[in-house]
Amino acid sequence: MFLKDKFYKVTKEDVSGTSATYTLAILPDCSVYDGHFPGNPVCPGVCNMQTILECAMMLTGKSLHYNTIKQCRLTAIATPEVCPEVMVSVSVDESNTILAEIKDSKQTYMTLKGTVQ
Amino acid sequence: MMVDELLCVNGDEAQCRLAVREDNFFLEEDGLIAEVGIIEHIAQSASAFAGYRAVEEDGATEPPVGYIGEVKNFHLTERPAVGDVLITTITMGPTVDGVTIISGECKKESGEPVADTRMKIYVP
Repeated sequence: MFLKDKFYKVTKEDVSGTSATYTLAILPDCSVYDGHFPGNPVCPGVCNMQTILECAMMLTGKSLHYNTIKQCRLTAIATPEVCPEVMVSVSVDESNTILAEIKDSKQTYMTLKGTVQ
Repeated sequence: MMVDELLCVNGDEAQCRLAVREDNFFLEEDGLIAEVGIIEHIAQSASAFAGYRAVEEDGATEPPVGYIGEVKNFHLTERPAVGDVLITTITMGPTVDGVTIISGECKKESGEPVADTRMKIYVP
């Protein structure tokens, strides 16, 4: 979990069986913003995808990797200013299908469907 | 940066190169690159290709900034390790309303497959 406590910090978790919702603080001082982009911090889409995977790891208690990503849609531009706090809803079923969404009270930033191993 | 070099451009195809080094942002504790690091490498390869086209063919003064709009049908074969050299082939599809569909195939220099995906890149 190389982004935990670096790119985001978990402030609340609500686990129910094979699904969970994690409330995260997006950390504005992460080094990723030095390059993405100078003077214009935008959360890299791939960091949001990795954040979803790390939430799935917290949910399952296992180290996971994406095997396939059937579809991941980036539906709004996320920045530490636009969304200092987000909610990640994630589920992993018995066939290792992962379904997830990142949103806040205003909008949805990412939806993802894939498989993990 | 997840691209070292744009190697060649041939019509709608281009190849980019990345050597995986120890200071890579996406390197995990097991010494291998995270899947999303490969996706970022493919996205930056497409961005390098688009930037080359904008500057060389359309006369832009600086390459445009692009965002990933969608990742579709990503398949991982093998995560690369420190010391591996990745060669990625980008095929650029049509652009509609600022959104370009690309496909990317990432292999090791030795020819072993790493991952492949399709992507929508959005240039505002």
